[in-house]
Amino acid sequence: MPTLEKFIVPIGPQHPALKEPGHFEFTVDGETVTAATVRLGYVHRGIEKATEDRNWTQNLYLLERICGICSHTHALCYSLGVEALAEVTAPPRAQAIRSLVAELERVHSHLLWLGVAAHEGGFDTLFMYSWRDRETIMDVLEGLTGNRVNYSANVLGGVKFDLDDKQIDAIKRGVDYLEERTHHYYKVVTTDTTFIRRTRGVGALTTEQAEDIGVVGPMARASGIARDVRVDAPYAAYNMFPVNIVIETAGDLEARFVVRLKELYESYRLIRAIVDHLPPGDLTVRMPRKVKEGESISRVEAPRGECFYFIKSSGGEKPERVKVRTPSLCNFTSVLATAPGHQLADMPMILAGIDPCFSCNDR
Amino acid sequence: MEILQPIVTLLFFPAGLFVMGNGLAYLWVDRKLVAQYQNRIGPRWFQPLADIVKLLSKEEIVPHGIDVRLFNGLPVLALACALTAALYVPLAGLPPAFSFPGDLIVTVYLLSVVTMGLALAGANTADRFSLIGAVRTLTQLFSYEAPFMLALLGPAVVAGSWQISTINTFAGQHWMIITQPIGFVVALIGLMGKLELPPFDAPEAETEIVKGALTEYSGRGLALFQLAKSVELVVGLTLIGSFYLGGIGNPIEFFAKTLGILLVLAGLQSLFARFRIEQTAKWWRYASLLLLAQWLVIALLGGKTL
Repeated sequence: MPTLEKFIVPIGPQHPALKEPGHFEFTVDGETVTAATVRLGYVHRGIEKATEDRNWTQNLYLLERICGICSHTHALCYSLGVEALAEVTAPPRAQAIRSLVAELERVHSHLLWLGVAAHEGGFDTLFMYSWRDRETIMDVLEGLTGNRVNYSANVLGGVKFDLDDKQIDAIKRGVDYLEERTHHYYKVVTTDTTFIRRTRGVGALTTEQAEDIGVVGPMARASGIARDVRVDAPYAAYNMFPVNIVIETAGDLEARFVVRLKELYESYRLIRAIVDHLPPGDLTVRMPRKVKEGESISRVEAPRGECFYFIKSSGGEKPERVKVRTPSLCNFTSVLATAPGHQLADMPMILAGIDPCFSCNDR
Repeated sequence: MEILQPIVTLLFFPAGLFVMGNGLAYLWVDRKLVAQYQNRIGPRWFQPLADIVKLLSKEEIVPHGIDVRLFNGLPVLALACALTAALYVPLAGLPPAFSFPGDLIVTVYLLSVVTMGLALAGANTADRFSLIGAVRTLTQLFSYEAPFMLALLGPAVVAGSWQISTINTFAGQHWMIITQPIGFVVALIGLMGKLELPPFDAPEAETEIVKGALTEYSGRGLALFQLAKSVELVVGLTLIGSFYLGGIGNPIEFFAKTLGILLVLAGLQSLFARFRIEQTAKWWRYASLLLLAQWLVIALLGGKTL
């Protein structure tokens, strides 16, 4: 007697493929996935609510801890929003340093992702190598800000530190080394036969699908959509140092690898341009303790895509409401859309392909 | 005293404890080499042994809804088969402890039973990762078994014997890696498939199905399965070394040749991304065809002349 029972493979909340908790259920027929669902919210920490009990400055440090990978993104996005409300603009040198740290962060995030994605595909050698090289950028960030994660580079109305020649030298050396290594990874990702067989044509998202789902960041750019906040609505110093957008049209996993690796080159170029042409001037401007009543929206291009902050002030020392929307939320549904029809073995890679950040997403 | 010698052979040397120790040592060599290739430090020399001791001392959790006898029996069966297979190969360069015409077939089948035990252990539980792991293990078994066997039978046909010791002696004068290079490569990769080493580790791909067929095993069962696999590693390396690399006649040859193959194996493990199970199955179709072509050449040139 044929059964109508579905064979569901659960991935998560605890699973070796996931470094953070999320729950995916893949309905399989043999090895082929026929349906997928997702459940999120396992790392909800109530950060948005907690901001309402802290003053404007304290929130900077709280919000930076939303994510361990793109912490600067959150602090920057929040600072931009609060500064807009208070009608304060950080000086040009501070803006340039903000962009510099943002690009350094993008480099470390993309290298981290490269390793994780390779590991999901069972290519541990690439994982180990890319994480070894990522240490270069971690050391640069530590030399610059004193921290490997949660750099706390921002203060409201500016940045906390200046660059000296020694640090600029260290940045340049680090970037030179990484550029050379990135050439190697680019070659591996685009020419290694076993790896291409796991990425080419896998998880392909057409431009129309990508538009419908509303994916952001490298996901959108890999599907042929020119969507990058740094280009569309330049913030910090991206007016002074324009970004060349990287676009691929295939929309599959290989395109996502290529987009992120090419963005590394773009980040290296930006980092060099910023340290070579640092505008002179102050690092901070005076920031009022109370922020004027009003609402603001600020957007920052995180390594994973558009990070969105809505901040409402009632004129006091604390925000009335801070709403955060992280890029992972926009990208999760693309996993569900592309999963059916693929092999179960492709699921971890498709999932890693969006560079999910559960902890950002759940806050 | 007559009775003492077989007991020592079976329990201590060269089978039994020696082969288990050897297997764990080789497991460490493998892990250390892969770690070095991947720019890591790797484990200390006693790590595999420490893992086994730890697992043996842990509580074994028996899941609900399974056949408990099978659950407990399969790891023992797997280890027993691997150890029995070790009796017929020239361990440590000594002549095989037991030998009879046709023992090559028995050895190959005993090694397959280890994998069968693994698959059955997975199929026995109700766990979804285990079930998928079991299906994949069996798929992989059917994909590599034929080419692996053909690869081992190549030298046997040339030597004109199904007895491992005879082939080993014959191989002493003939380096069959030169005359049958395809067979050597297929045997090497077949061993990787057998041991579920990367990139053929789809049956236990941790990012997909946790530990595959062994997901529900903890404690003693897991330890025994791992011991069985490390013994299988030694037996496989010895077979390939003696058949293709000019035979194994003394301990120095044994260690040099098996470790040499292990060096290559570790390199292969760190070079590739994981094969999906259907990619593995496809790969073996070509391997079998290539081997058959090689067989044809051997047959045409007339067996013993090679």
